[in-house]
Amino acid sequence: MPKNITIFTTNTCGYCVMVKKYLGAKGHDYEEVNLDQHPERQAEALSLSGALTVPVTVVTKQDDSREVIVGYNLAKLAPAVAA
Amino acid sequence: MNDNATETTAPAETPKHDVIMIGAGPAALAAAIYTTREDIDTLLFERGVVGGLAAVTDKVDNYPGFADGIEGLTLADNLRQQAERFGAVIELGEVTAIHDEGEYKRLETTSGDMLARAVLIATGSDYKKVGVPGEKEYYARGVHYCATCDGAFYRDKRLVVVGGGNSAVQETMFLTRFASHIDLLVRSTIKASDVLQKDLEDYVASGKVTVHLATTTDEILGEKIDNIDKVTKVIGTKDGQKVEFETDGVFVFVGLDPNSGFLKDTAVELDPIGFVRTDDHLHTAIPGVFAAGDIRSGATMQIASAVGEGATAALLIREYLEGRKVAPAAVELAPAPHAS
Repeated sequence: MPKNITIFTTNTCGYCVMVKKYLGAKGHDYEEVNLDQHPERQAEALSLSGALTVPVTVVTKQDDSREVIVGYNLAKLAPAVAA
Repeated sequence: MNDNATETTAPAETPKHDVIMIGAGPAALAAAIYTTREDIDTLLFERGVVGGLAAVTDKVDNYPGFADGIEGLTLADNLRQQAERFGAVIELGEVTAIHDEGEYKRLETTSGDMLARAVLIATGSDYKKVGVPGEKEYYARGVHYCATCDGAFYRDKRLVVVGGGNSAVQETMFLTRFASHIDLLVRSTIKASDVLQKDLEDYVASGKVTVHLATTTDEILGEKIDNIDKVTKVIGTKDGQKVEFETDGVFVFVGLDPNSGFLKDTAVELDPIGFVRTDDHLHTAIPGVFAAGDIRSGATMQIASAVGEGATAALLIREYLEGRKVAPAAVELAPAPHAS
């Protein structure tokens, strides 16, 4: 199980809903950073992902290594949160 | 107990369903509402967003029953809840191939093989690329296809939107919530509905949007700023002259591409663009495999039409499962032109 998971989202992003739905279905807790409510954290999302898009999911593993998944990408998200 | 005895485990049986629907957009969700209400065991596979493109559309103004329009995400969620209320199961995963094995169709999926007596292809479509230099290079770093996802990154910035159809105009108006100014580049004339064009006039009058008709988009340029690649300019052509638009980002809405790549090596017939050909009963060339919604050749690319086709497909699937219609009629290969 990951140590923690953070998702950067916006209010209107359908793909963000899917990431949250997937993590919820798999029983994972996560912290959500809504960039509409916290625009000051956009630079942080950009720095982590290299992309001007959401969702950005940051999975911190037990050994403190991090995996960043840009967009709703089950092929990357599923193994990242399962490890 | 004999020490030499070995325990054997029977191979897991391939899961069987009455119907598997590929996709969980408006067409499939509507179909699922109908099939599950008839106690037809129904599984939907969705590789992207439940609700499809409708779920990433800011506002849906032309879906009947909502006098003031409805947010696309809300409409999609309502459809999902309604289908699940009757027992539809949505699996987040992808179907990668369909094999016709007679009574059952075998589907290769990211969750393993599955069998279904009937299949509904409702994979819809995705936004098309404009196909110019710079578009791929700056994808998600200045070039975008989802205003509701990425618009928030452009507060008080200049934007270019490419396209002249309903989506381009609708999303341009949505993006004005964030952008300081938008240049709308339209290759020929605006094809959006009269209502949307009238709404757009208010934004043009306020100076928030400038429409550039008969203007092609030829190249997207950028540079490294603060060590990050950023879009800075769009090059186009108008009246044979090169034109330049300073911008911080580009949103592209120039039509739709079918999500039919997984059907290329199957007996399901596709039109030259890649949309699925069906007969008048939404039946593809494989008995028991139907198609509905944006993926179908001749579709009008409207949510209301997709929902209607989904309901129709469900009734036809029920007939098929009851044995009242066992083989597709000869597929007529003359699709109607796609609506813009």
